[in-house]
Amino acid sequence: MNAHAAAPPPASALDDPRDHALAVAGLRAGYGRGGDIVCGIDMIQKPETIVTVIGPNGSGKSSFIKTLAGLLPARAGRIEVTGRDITALSPARRVAAGLAYVPQEANVFASLTIAENLKLATEFIRGRAGVGPGQRERVLALFPELGQRPKTLAGNLSGGQRQMLAFACALLANPEVLLLDEPSAGLSPKIVGETMEAVVRVREAGVTVLLVEQNVAAALAIADEVVVLVAGRLSLRAKAGDVKQADLAGLFFGKEA
Amino acid sequence: MVAQLFLNGLVTGLLLALPALALTLIFGIMRFANFAVGALLTLGAYAGYLANVTFGLPLPMAAAFAALVVGLACVLCDELVFERLRERGSITLLVASMGVSLVIENICRFAFGNAARSFDLAVARPIRWNGIRINYEQMTTAGVVVVALILFHLLLSASPLGRAMRAVADNPSLAAVRGVERRTVARITWMLTGALIGIAGVLAGLDRAIDPLMGWNYQIPIFAAAILGGLGSPLGAVAGALLIGIAEEMSTLVLPPSYRQIVSFSVILLLLLFRTNGLFGAKAVRK
Repeated sequence: MNAHAAAPPPASALDDPRDHALAVAGLRAGYGRGGDIVCGIDMIQKPETIVTVIGPNGSGKSSFIKTLAGLLPARAGRIEVTGRDITALSPARRVAAGLAYVPQEANVFASLTIAENLKLATEFIRGRAGVGPGQRERVLALFPELGQRPKTLAGNLSGGQRQMLAFACALLANPEVLLLDEPSAGLSPKIVGETMEAVVRVREAGVTVLLVEQNVAAALAIADEVVVLVAGRLSLRAKAGDVKQADLAGLFFGKEA
Repeated sequence: MVAQLFLNGLVTGLLLALPALALTLIFGIMRFANFAVGALLTLGAYAGYLANVTFGLPLPMAAAFAALVVGLACVLCDELVFERLRERGSITLLVASMGVSLVIENICRFAFGNAARSFDLAVARPIRWNGIRINYEQMTTAGVVVVALILFHLLLSASPLGRAMRAVADNPSLAAVRGVERRTVARITWMLTGALIGIAGVLAGLDRAIDPLMGWNYQIPIFAAAILGGLGSPLGAVAGALLIGIAEEMSTLVLPPSYRQIVSFSVILLLLLFRTNGLFGAKAVRK
């Protein structure tokens, strides 16, 4: 898994880069000619942890994760995955560097079959170690129902099944870090629980998970750490067990912790 | 008589199938209806004429040349016009494609003049079978189109490139995350669809005289076929083309032949009023 561990540590201000799966420093991003939506985020995430990013609507959570995935260009700062600077890479090259991303909705190709979705997950990703039949077997073992009906159109799957397919596609690229943008969006409460269990299984398979979530209760239940984003800045970072939902109300409405 | 019209309609429909497929694929990838499809078809006919009559090449070579020319012309149009306007939305692109259509048509007129031209072909006696006349041009058209459609179907359904094309049409930003570059796929799609239109142009030149306005005879039926099949659906476009071709020819039983384009217009009108997704557009995925 640690294919990049042997590389010399990059000249950054971050301490020992081999000890974090994901490192973000001074990250700024925004749309078009508008002001910054992500206003200087610093954050380090240890390997095989689950960190949940929460925050009020418009706090820049989704823009933050899109910037990490490379769909929104960073205006300043740097992003490292297992010590390697990926700030300048295209979304696809970031996947090859070990950073997989599951978008919020429309995260599978609805007009393609399950088998085609799984095939496309790695077909055009070049130069990623550990991608192949072995990884495919491991991923399908995590989500057994996907292997059963390869010819079903992804658009005909239920919300929960679609989410599992999206996770599976991301995991086929053998990522170090998995970014999930609101995995519970549009799902019924029961399916939200199943989805969160799937996230835990993914972490147990050795993947570091960063998720953005509106559903605070569901996200707190599985996270190791919680990061609260308000107006594009980190306003709190704490162990998930130490955070009570009641405390969050104050934070969400802009008071400092 | 009815059987003869049905056969003629089938061949006309097959001829329409190639540009209708091209129109629908470009709609899927680029998200706009390319109004230049008729002019590109004219360009294909002239490219075939250039190869066949001026250079003296046999017709299959002329068709290959036309496919190449129109494919490159499509890539060039994309590079110079469509890609630059992509952010402005589909209406801007549609209007731009009308402009491109006029430019291509007048390039043809400038190079070859207004006079009607035709390929250098030996005249052959049509085959008679059970009272139906089948001429060699019709057999060539049917054969070429069926082979092209089968190849395209295999390409779309079973090759990595086809998967990439469908992925970009379905969800371009997810495709980018999966390493499928929209730009590359778009260029390849333009080249391939241009080739289809170029071949159709040569086939159209077998059927009628080549003149700068010949594409307009096909423009509305092509659009009707693609819309009937549900824009963006390749199989639908082919089915739509066959239906339009047959309906147009059959309409001459009750209408004067010069009015047969009325069929295409009526089909578009009815679809716009009652079934905007076309026959196959909404069926693919049940939400």
